[in-house]
Amino acid sequence: MSKPEDLVRKLPNDIGGDPAEQIERRERDLEPWEKRCHALADVLDFHKIINTEEKRRGVEALGTEMIANLSYYERWVVAFTNIAFEKGILSPGELAQKMDELRSRWTC
Amino acid sequence: MAGRDLAVSKSVHDHSHDSAGDSNEPGYFELMEAALRELLVEKRYFGADEIRRQIEVLDSRTPALGAQVVARAWTDPAFKTRLLADGRAACEELGISFYDDTRLIVLENTETVHNLIVCTLCSCYPRPVLGLPPDWYKLKPYRARAVVEPRAVLAEFGTIIPDDVEIRVSDSTAMVRYLVLPRRPEGTEGWPHEQLAALVTRDAMIGVIPVNLPAGAAR
Amino acid sequence: MYLRGKAGTVEAVIEPIAVDNEREGYGRNAGTRRHYYRLAFAMTELWPEYAGSPADGLRIEVYETWLEGISR
Repeated sequence: MSKPEDLVRKLPNDIGGDPAEQIERRERDLEPWEKRCHALADVLDFHKIINTEEKRRGVEALGTEMIANLSYYERWVVAFTNIAFEKGILSPGELAQKMDELRSRWTC
Repeated sequence: MAGRDLAVSKSVHDHSHDSAGDSNEPGYFELMEAALRELLVEKRYFGADEIRRQIEVLDSRTPALGAQVVARAWTDPAFKTRLLADGRAACEELGISFYDDTRLIVLENTETVHNLIVCTLCSCYPRPVLGLPPDWYKLKPYRARAVVEPRAVLAEFGTIIPDDVEIRVSDSTAMVRYLVLPRRPEGTEGWPHEQLAALVTRDAMIGVIPVNLPAGAAR
Repeated sequence: MYLRGKAGTVEAVIEPIAVDNEREGYGRNAGTRRHYYRLAFAMTELWPEYAGSPADGLRIEVYETWLEGISR
């Protein structure tokens, strides 16, 4: 990547043909929350609240650092909340409040 | 952005990528998912039962469904023709419904062509007929290398394809999904449908390995 | 995208016409619909140092607006 325009023309998900390591044949079952997240994605797409392409673009928009440091479904859920904020579906404050509420509900 | 706003006001939970079993405390992202879902249900974007139902749908989709399709194609030439013409419609004939708008193209492996599927940009995968993809399919090494050095990738799975066989890599984009119809192994003539289906693995339908007879199989 | 500027052949026209997935990424679930084309590329066309068989190829679906006709 020499020029700034390269960063724009080749987004973080655009990796076809990039050099990469050996394939590690990792398999693991999803955590229950990850499966709920996947189901959420399907329901959001079905209702066209957040379609699959929007999710894809939303994950891309997280940028290289988040993409590298968040796991697969972590990226999805952050992308969803960002898009929900952008669309005015909910506000960051509402989400924070609800997370607080759930945190106390689950840990008491 | 979600991350910044929330970190300011709330305590930071240690989250583990690997295990929820460490403690009874939910991870940060697990909380975020639950919060998002509850808010959307409260705001009537969808019903809570829809999520539960979709989890059931996801649980019901496994490679065994794809194996049924393959075994049927091996034994029923008319079905195979329909399958190659319209993958989704043929699957629906077998009772495999699609819960999204995707289309399915089935790629037949032959003596002269070996197919391999990948999604370089994300992780498109024929979920309605195979269930959820393995981690390796979603990670960079496979996605980056399958389109540029498919033979080396196949070798990592123990699959060597002769040079006179064309390797055809299909990169899934947009709303088309792929399924590989692997070659039927020699020595399976007359086998019952279920026995044939039992041979067909997920990885064979992605195209990284062929369908093999179990070691020591005799007929 | 590794395909930019590369020459391939149209193997199939995907029916029916559909929305532009790039626009769909911004929530446009409706609007002008055009065709996706299944394209075939030789690996040697895509990657100058391709080491496999010269017969090896790639298939991918691309929305009509990304394609430019070339005469041979």
